Amino acid sequence: MHPFTFTKASDTREALNAGRRGRYIAGGTTLVDLMRETVERPETLVDISGLPLRDVTVTKGGGLRIGALVTMSDAAAHSKVRSLFPVVSEALELSASAQLRNMATIGGNIMQRTRCTYFRDVTANCNKREPGSGCAAREGFNRTHAILGTSESCVATHPSDVAVAFAALEAQVHLLGPGGERTVPFGDFLLRPGSTPNHEQALTRGELITAVELPALPRPLKSGYLKVRDRQSYEFALTSAAVALHISGGVIRDAKVAAGGVGTVPWKLPAVEKHLIGQRPSESLWAAAAEKATEGARPLKHNRFKVDLLERTVERQLRTVGDNT
Amino acid sequence: MSPQPQAAVGAPLSRVDGRLKVTGKARYAAEHEVNGVVYAVIVDASIGRGRITGIDTSAAEAQRGVLSVIHHGNAPKLPYKDNKASNNPPGARLRVFQDDKVRFHGQPVAVVVATSLEAAQHAASLVKVRYDAEQPSTELSKGKPDKPTSYARGDVEAGLRKADVRLDLTYRLARNHHNAMEPHATIARWNGNKLTVWDKTQWVVGTQTELSTVFDLPLKSVRVISPFVGGGFGSGLRCWPHTVVAALAARVAKRPVKLVLSRKQQYFATGFRPEYEYRLRLGSNRQGRLIAMAHEMEHETSSYETFSEGVLDPGRMLYSTPNVSQAYRTVPLDVNTPIWMRGPGPATASYVIESALDELADRIGVDPIELRQRNEPDEDESSGLPWSTRRLRECYTVGAREFGWDRRSAKPRSRREGDWLIGMGMAAGVYHTARMPAEAHVRLDADGTAVVETAASDMGPGTYTSQTQVAADALGLTVRTVTLKLGDSLFPQTPPHGGSMTMASVGSAVLDGCNQVRRQAIKLAIEDKESPLYGVNADDVVVRGGRLHAKGNPTRGETYQRLLSRNDRTHLESLGSYSGAPSTERHSLHAYNATFAEVAVDAALGLVRVRRVLGVYDAGRIISPKLAESQAFGGMVGGIGQALLEHTVTDHRDGRIVNANLADYLVPVNADVPDLKAIYLDGEDREADPLGVKGLGEVVMVGVAPAIANAVFNATGRRVRQLPITAEALI
Repeated sequence: MHPFTFTKASDTREALNAGRRGRYIAGGTTLVDLMRETVERPETLVDISGLPLRDVTVTKGGGLRIGALVTMSDAAAHSKVRSLFPVVSEALELSASAQLRNMATIGGNIMQRTRCTYFRDVTANCNKREPGSGCAAREGFNRTHAILGTSESCVATHPSDVAVAFAALEAQVHLLGPGGERTVPFGDFLLRPGSTPNHEQALTRGELITAVELPALPRPLKSGYLKVRDRQSYEFALTSAAVALHISGGVIRDAKVAAGGVGTVPWKLPAVEKHLIGQRPSESLWAAAAEKATEGARPLKHNRFKVDLLERTVERQLRTVGDNT
Repeated sequence: MSPQPQAAVGAPLSRVDGRLKVTGKARYAAEHEVNGVVYAVIVDASIGRGRITGIDTSAAEAQRGVLSVIHHGNAPKLPYKDNKASNNPPGARLRVFQDDKVRFHGQPVAVVVATSLEAAQHAASLVKVRYDAEQPSTELSKGKPDKPTSYARGDVEAGLRKADVRLDLTYRLARNHHNAMEPHATIARWNGNKLTVWDKTQWVVGTQTELSTVFDLPLKSVRVISPFVGGGFGSGLRCWPHTVVAALAARVAKRPVKLVLSRKQQYFATGFRPEYEYRLRLGSNRQGRLIAMAHEMEHETSSYETFSEGVLDPGRMLYSTPNVSQAYRTVPLDVNTPIWMRGPGPATASYVIESALDELADRIGVDPIELRQRNEPDEDESSGLPWSTRRLRECYTVGAREFGWDRRSAKPRSRREGDWLIGMGMAAGVYHTARMPAEAHVRLDADGTAVVETAASDMGPGTYTSQTQVAADALGLTVRTVTLKLGDSLFPQTPPHGGSMTMASVGSAVLDGCNQVRRQAIKLAIEDKESPLYGVNADDVVVRGGRLHAKGNPTRGETYQRLLSRNDRTHLESLGSYSGAPSTERHSLHAYNATFAEVAVDAALGLVRVRRVLGVYDAGRIISPKLAESQAFGGMVGGIGQALLEHTVTDHRDGRIVNANLADYLVPVNADVPDLKAIYLDGEDREADPLGVKGLGEVVMVGVAPAIANAVFNATGRRVRQLPITAEALI
């Protein structure tokens, strides 16, 4: 670990001042790990865990605003999250371990960096860690890597589960920076790698995430998260699917679908959604819609299986959510 | 056993060291407090093969607190005398910092010593090493195998020709790492030419001899201390280069040095279960009676040492087969040297043989248990020796009954629950009963308590507890009044704590020592006119709860305390010993199991979930049932890992291990561990050793992976001939 200075911000203004020259740290569950590996070498850490960003509130239309410092476990257990957006609770509870969920925050969760093992090994080439050095994963061991949204520079997946739910639900990210507040749609917040995989979020220097807002959606809304992985707990997804369906009068009026474990960012599936809307639930509908999930997939040597697995994961979760409606 | 009543042996006791462990008072290698200790961090090679052309240590040395940076350019030359009394495989062991060659990715190329761990870690990251890199060879299929070790009986090719059913199957097993909870760690301290080392090891004696030969010191000048080991599974069976690095660093820095390997470093600084390719050709008649088996197996070893393991035994003796051939090849690659890992050899061979038998059973339509019964041998066909005990048939019967084997459908894909296909599988397991010479010192004090000292380790099976049970009964004391002291090379010598031989070997020495001390006390009493036992025949005296008394008359007797104090004896003592296996065995000795597994497979998503595992064991006498059950559970968990999760991945482009951490190298977590049940058949093996034990730490892992793989076939109809079985093989 490289030497660094550590300051604790007592309020938002102090945080923003310090944030211009430093890195924010809350739960630290990703950042400290990466500092130990010397992947991250911040000179200044700004501890924001004392800021008043720990509330979950219902918005006017019936959405939810989750403060950036709400821990994963608190968010998952919150009665409103559970009742209004089960997909968020489920995604959180299928993440990491109980210990990590108790420490890690919602803001930190969406900021977490890829699990690509070449990114995490400072002796390997990685454009995300060291722009221009090359991508060791593209021709290396890439079983867990992305099949969607990849570029010549980078094939790493975004590891978060709850971000997949946020992408599906079209959440908004509330930001506060030296220039004031702004709101970014979740789909624009996490960036595809392109030729600059080191730029991962649409954040300007010193900007702070204050909350993630889940929009008010037409009800009744059924939702849920399916995570496919080698072991039953404490592992990142091979594939996952976040599904929310608004069905009334026997017809799907609205569909929100995204996939995880397959994209360089949480992968929203508009073609699947479009295929569902206006249709009546049926086994054949789920299958036909899920076929659209893999459009544009570009598998690598070791992750070819993810193409089929993604389609099956989406189909299964459409059925699980849709049949219960 | 002794004529003493057995009160402690066979009782389901909790660990005698449990309190120490849960209160953090059990000291593991890195936890010993040593005055003036400084910290060492190793710099690992970032190429897989080649030469070091330059090392720039200036930035590292400029850091505050850095005492020295040692590498091949400035390290003292070390004698590295031959070490014959070791577990080092044939070859030339890796000599740390003695030349500029890089033999595998991760090889130690430098070590930083600093006054704080943080300074040492940071400085290590600042050491700049330049290399002349070559392409390493790390792919098993592309390496050049050594000459085979061969075995043959009968005529395999003729046997295969006349067989009604022939199978030609190739199985692959991934490299596995031990991944014990405690990292490997060493504290080294020099006092003149005397070296004391606190080390994570399963064999203090082995580490002692290795360090004495590396530094060319008299054996007595090296002391190795390792009272507690936080899991080993075999990784502590030899002294690894980092232990030498710690001692070397302490000598250069002239300070005691602590060196703890990072989790990542455990993947190349210590050994592993090698990757295998194993081809089995098998022929049987229509009834499934085996006619011929031809085994060809190869596995990786390093370029500098030829590691091998006992993978041949099951193929020779487990089933009656007139014609057997075996060709076992090691393949030298640019990797570090492998080492034994739980169930070494049989855990690999049994996966292949037991899977193949399941394939045969399916082919000819015979129940897998019935098939095995039909091939049950009357004697060890490889040696012609009779079995000491072999109760595999009982294991099958008890297991089938307890598991509900009759509910299994022979036809795959016949049981479905929603999206899950349910299947059952079974396998037999075997592990040879090894015994080696051992000694133990026993002292009975005048206060009626006893201390037993022996160099053996306790890496987790509960050696402290089970040896205490043996000692307590032989001395006629309660468990509470006996103290075991383990893991110090000053104590009487023991063999490596591995190969399931600790209870047989060390236990027999403890038993001998305690028997001797008890007999001394009895002799003292019956010859002492003031003793109530004066004149009683020695064979008619027993000791219970620290009190000697006449066999048929409990009121006639006295305590050890009274006896010793009246005779002005501060203590009685003896060096117990056990001579190990006879030079010529008269029996074939093995522990056995039948393991059963039920799995649920989501065939669409490629998920395998183990629902139940049952092991039925023929392991001889069970000294400590509660710990034996824990051992079995541990073996089953290890087997679940081997079957479904564990896989060390090498990037063959540069030889780097890609998943050298516990997030990417998957071991089972609680959620993966289902309903486990272990049944030990009651009994003992009188031919094995004075305690009648056959060893159980290894055999409990053997057979688990094939039982699971066979259950996956029964569930899905899909035969995956590769471990671990992962989603891509099933969807």
